[in-house]
Amino acid sequence: MRRNIFNNVFTILFLVATISTLKAEINVYSHRHYDSDKILFKQFTKETGIKINIIKGSADQLIQRLISEGNNSPADVLLTVDAGRLERARAAGVLQPVKSNILLKNIPSAMRDHEGYWYGLTVRARVIVYAKDRVNPSELSTYEDLADKKWKGRIVVRSSSNIYNQSLLASIIVANGSKNALSWAKAVRKNMARTPRGSDRDQARAVSSGIADIAIMNTYYLGILANSSERADREVAEKLAVFFPNQNDRGAHINVSGGGVTRSSKNKEEAIRFLEFLSNSKSQETFGKVNYEYPVKIEMNKSNLLKSWGSFKVDEVSLSVLGAKNSEAVKLFDRAGWE
Amino acid sequence: MNKFYRILKEELFFKLNAWTIISLLVGLFIFLPMAEVLWHFTDTADSWEHLKETVLGRYLKGSFILVLGTACLSIITGVSCAWLVSCCDFPGRRFFEWALILPLAIPTYIAAYAYFDLLDMLNPLLVWIRTSFSINTMIYLNDVLVYVVTILVLASVLYPYIYLLARSSFSNQGSQLIEAAQMLGHSPKSIFWRVALPMARPAIVAGTSLVIMETLNDYGAVKHFGVPTFTTGIFRSWLGMDDISGALRLAACLMLFIFLLLLIEKGLRGGAKFNIGISSSQPFKRYSLDLIKSRLAILICSIPLLVGFIAPVMRLSFWATSNIEKLFNASFLKLIINSLSLATISSFVAVTVAIFLAYVARYFSSSSVYTSNRMAILGYSVPGAVVAIGILLFSGQINQLNGWVLTGSFFMLIFAYLIRFLAVAWQPIDSGMEKNCEQFNNASRSLGSSTFKSLIRVNIPLLKNTLLVAGLLVFIDTIKELPLTLILRPFNFETLATRTFDLTTQGQIPESSIPALCIILVVVFPAIWLNRQMEYKK
Repeated sequence: MRRNIFNNVFTILFLVATISTLKAEINVYSHRHYDSDKILFKQFTKETGIKINIIKGSADQLIQRLISEGNNSPADVLLTVDAGRLERARAAGVLQPVKSNILLKNIPSAMRDHEGYWYGLTVRARVIVYAKDRVNPSELSTYEDLADKKWKGRIVVRSSSNIYNQSLLASIIVANGSKNALSWAKAVRKNMARTPRGSDRDQARAVSSGIADIAIMNTYYLGILANSSERADREVAEKLAVFFPNQNDRGAHINVSGGGVTRSSKNKEEAIRFLEFLSNSKSQETFGKVNYEYPVKIEMNKSNLLKSWGSFKVDEVSLSVLGAKNSEAVKLFDRAGWE
Repeated sequence: MNKFYRILKEELFFKLNAWTIISLLVGLFIFLPMAEVLWHFTDTADSWEHLKETVLGRYLKGSFILVLGTACLSIITGVSCAWLVSCCDFPGRRFFEWALILPLAIPTYIAAYAYFDLLDMLNPLLVWIRTSFSINTMIYLNDVLVYVVTILVLASVLYPYIYLLARSSFSNQGSQLIEAAQMLGHSPKSIFWRVALPMARPAIVAGTSLVIMETLNDYGAVKHFGVPTFTTGIFRSWLGMDDISGALRLAACLMLFIFLLLLIEKGLRGGAKFNIGISSSQPFKRYSLDLIKSRLAILICSIPLLVGFIAPVMRLSFWATSNIEKLFNASFLKLIINSLSLATISSFVAVTVAIFLAYVARYFSSSSVYTSNRMAILGYSVPGAVVAIGILLFSGQINQLNGWVLTGSFFMLIFAYLIRFLAVAWQPIDSGMEKNCEQFNNASRSLGSSTFKSLIRVNIPLLKNTLLVAGLLVFIDTIKELPLTLILRPFNFETLATRTFDLTTQGQIPESSIPALCIILVVVFPAIWLNRQMEYKK
């Protein structure tokens, strides 16, 4: 009799367990709003049966929300762009370290946090884009050179509120020290053709229309413009070319877009599986083909457009170090008067 | 001092009952998130010195220019149109009378998207200046143009606040004063400047203060055009630098600025109270304009309508038709349902709370409830960004206390809307009660009817129309609301506003036109109805 009850309980437990695995789902807070992600999320659900619930928002707001929700947050994964933000999330204590051999294998060590709080999933290079008809690439050399007077009124770049710029300045702080970084930011600000405004795409448009000759921007935006359904966008991209700076010293500044498992995650296993899925070679290819981002192993790039820009030397400074310098970079921007 | 004690005694001994206690608690509960913000003002902010030295001046300058420009342009547009449609007669007057409020249906961030490339269109001009004059002239002109365009975009959708109030003031002034002035030989021009305009001043000031608050609240347009303001500064410090205390200091400066404006407005209004007594029910006979002046009047009224409504809607429609295949799918229907149901529930909640609070304060003429009401409606006069900080701090503490996660629940979202928009419902209901219900309440009380019965049988039927107006106002504001919804919304939950924003941040401005148009459509009809309601009243 007793054994029967035991059996029954077991059966029920087993059933409950299977039902709950069938209904497995993860909650994702994501800053990424690209078509590539939509495709990959669908693919993940199809392959694993794990449903993805998503809240899209600005990463900074999502991090504030995670802090406010504390241990009771329903979120399992935070996806965002820029190591500066991932590092900010780590410092705010909303992520937890996870270990996975697959992640370690798929993601080079410079592209992830050493303790496993966050993992980079795609790479973007912040480069100089120039107008083919007005700039000879031999004029271009390094980020530092942009402070030179010859660029007076020829540069456009977006606001310092933007995290990509903050990480770029952080890399310059690491390379040249705070004092030099400040005078660099001041000089570049003076060389700008207009007060910073708009997105990276708008900088490309400004260069193509002749407001300025060069723009500091992320590579994938040029890819998006070149493949846009709007003719005007494609025309913008045609007039521009990519230059990878600092090829004779530390290399071009890169950053990642990545994710981590939240401290409060109740579906840790599924969350890790999700990150593993995004790091596998097929997903990496999708990121490149749909959103023109480099895979975390840059040499594995399969997108023809990215190949056409050529291979380049990468600034190998650890991204967590850049993240740690983020708030200093913001303050330097303020002091430099870079809006 | 004695008077204070007497009032305190009165409040404590005679007016403390279940009704007043509950409404005090409700009022204070709504005030709590704002109290969080005020509480944190005293935090020592290390970053404050840095902010003060580097960016504060820039935010002040940006906000000031924007507020000044938008207010002036809105006053010129709003007042001149209001004068034309209410005091002059020309072909198309009846049409312009209601059509001129239409820009109210367009949230500032959508107006900015509709004109997103306005600055880019000026690029050839700038390039020409660069090549034929100097780079510095171009840089300078570019900076000026940014402000001009932003002010133009903001004023083109905000002027109806002034137009509405000025119009009702002009048409309520009645015939006596203006006829007296006419008899004294004043020309229409001199009557406008010396009689009608000074009499309408309180209405214009009230409208202007709404315009200023909306300008300071805007985040989408200023972010898009790159104008540094307090609101962008608050977001930058709070989210970009994780510096809540710095952000709150900036918010404090902003709130101080707003309170000063409100005080000035109150002062100006106080002096002009006398005109209530001589308003007459006899409408003033409109000036009939000759052919040339009529054409001029039509032109003046067409410009704001064109810039503030027709042009943006046409652009959005043009984009929408090129994306029409994406229009009819299930997810889109869901967006509309989400927005509508959220706005309906919020306006219902706001109206219910507002009528309860206003009623208790008036029925028991309790000054403590009245004060707590005033505190509860504070959320409307500060930008959504500040309310968002307050709510996140507040829900974080609740979470620590007993583990409830309130962010991402509908409850919290609706509570957030309540904090932000309670004033919108409370103001008309409170003034409606003041005008219509006071004596009836006294009568029903002396006839032995219970407090609850007075509310249900006397106040609500008398205020039926006002309640509808209040509800619709909240409805419109909720549909248009963006920052709170973005931060607090639940999983997989999108509204028309958040979808519009998501698409535009991806640079898919043409695709975002469909949800943007829906917002405008959903808001336009209640707005027209409200306008007719106002006319019907006079």
